[in-house]
Parts: sequence; structure tokens; C-alpha cells
Amino acid sequence: MSTLIVIDQAPYGFWTGREALDMAFSLAAFDQPAAMLFTGAGVNWLRKGQRPDGVGQKSAEKNLSAAPLFGIEALIADEHACQQYGLTESTMLPGVELVSNIRDVLGDHKHVVFAG
Amino acid sequence: MPNSLTFTLVITGAPWTSQAPQTALTFATAALSAGHSIDRVFLYGDGVHLASSLSTPPSDEAHWPQQWSVFLKKHDIPATACIASALRRGLIDKTEQARYELPAENLLAPFEIAGLGEWVEGSQAADRTIYFHGN
Repeated sequence: MSTLIVIDQAPYGFWTGREALDMAFSLAAFDQPAAMLFTGAGVNWLRKGQRPDGVGQKSAEKNLSAAPLFGIEALIADEHACQQYGLTESTMLPGVELVSNIRDVLGDHKHVVFAG
Repeated sequence: MPNSLTFTLVITGAPWTSQAPQTALTFATAALSAGHSIDRVFLYGDGVHLASSLSTPPSDEAHWPQQWSVFLKKHDIPATACIASALRRGLIDKTEQARYELPAENLLAPFEIAGLGEWVEGSQAADRTIYFHGN
């Protein structure tokens, strides 16, 4: 059973993305295969150099950097959305897999969970 | 595919903010009527507000926490609110009240508070996991 957690909103504005991240970490903690897909404004989660102190939040970037360590199998980003938001390899966290057709990614997973 | 399916329902939208709890209840009722079963209900994010025993809508409005409570008891369906979501939003059972030395508890029976492991288990146990989001 593989689960894909999809985040399509920018970090910090809503709590749903953070709670979706907790879901991914929780699956990994229970040894269940989990991957995350970032699309739309959600690709901004992957941006390097986030400084959320100013809005009184913990760093989403720091959480995500730890994802491979915790056993999350893949961080996948929608290539088109990355271009739209000016994210390149040099401004993005390392190890992110870029895909051009997210429909294929959705089809590859038995369970797909959109951040509420 | 079997004719009869088992569902786990995840509710992330709060009552009186979103339609999620009502839609989920209608779905659950229809699923049981059609001969399917509900493995469990998991409240996550803002959905935990559905388990508050303190919600007090005007008397001429539907009381979604009570309706859910009656439904869950009648059909003996376990329902859990995620502990991290619940504590952040002030939904507290007796155990957490004692642990954090809080002045009150407000968890509506038969809801219980537990970790995301309940969701992981529920997703594995069910044929389908359906999400009811608030937006």
C-alpha cells in the first residue's frame, strides 16, 4: 500500500499543509510507504532559505529536509508549478524529483490524500 | 471487487465552518443502508471540533456533534480525534486534562482521543478511505 500526500497550498498561511506533513511522517513511522507531491503554490514548501520566525512559525523547510531520514520515500514536485513560482534546482531543497505529468504520479499510488 | 465495502471516514472540516461533518454523516448513513460497513471515523485538523461536548447551536439548528454521537453509538462505530489536532484546538479528554493540569475536559462520547496511528490502521483495514475536507 503506497500513499501519496498532496500539498497544493503555500506554507504558513494554513495549518492544513503542516498537518498533511504529519500524516506523511506518521505513515513512515508505522513503516508504511509514503511519498509527497507538491503542486500549485504548494511547491513553495520546497524553497530554500525560508525564514518563518517573523510569522512565529517553525520552519517547513527544516521539517521537509528531515523527510528522507524519517523514511518518506520521495518528495515530488510539479515541474510546471516550479517554473511558475521561479523555483530552480539551486533555490530548491536537494533530492526533489521533478515530474511533468502529475496524473501519472497520482495513478502510481493506491491511496491519495489531499491536504484538507 | 466485493459487493460490500468497508469504509474509513476522515473528517477534516469543522461543523459550522464547513459542510464536511454533515456530508460525512449523510454518506455514512447511505453506506450502511446499502449494506456497506464503516470501520472507523477519524477526526483530523479542524474536524476535531465535531467531538466537542460544549458546542451549543441555537435550538432551531441541527446539532452535528450530537447527531454524530447518536449515529456512532447506534451502530457501534469507533471514532477517534487526532490527539495533536485536538490538544492544539482545546479538545480535551480526562486523561489529557490530568496530564496538562487543565481546568476542564470537553470530549463528547463515544469519541476518543488517540494518535495518527489510528488513521494509518484505519486506512489499512478499510477497502476505501474517504476524506471530508472543509475547503
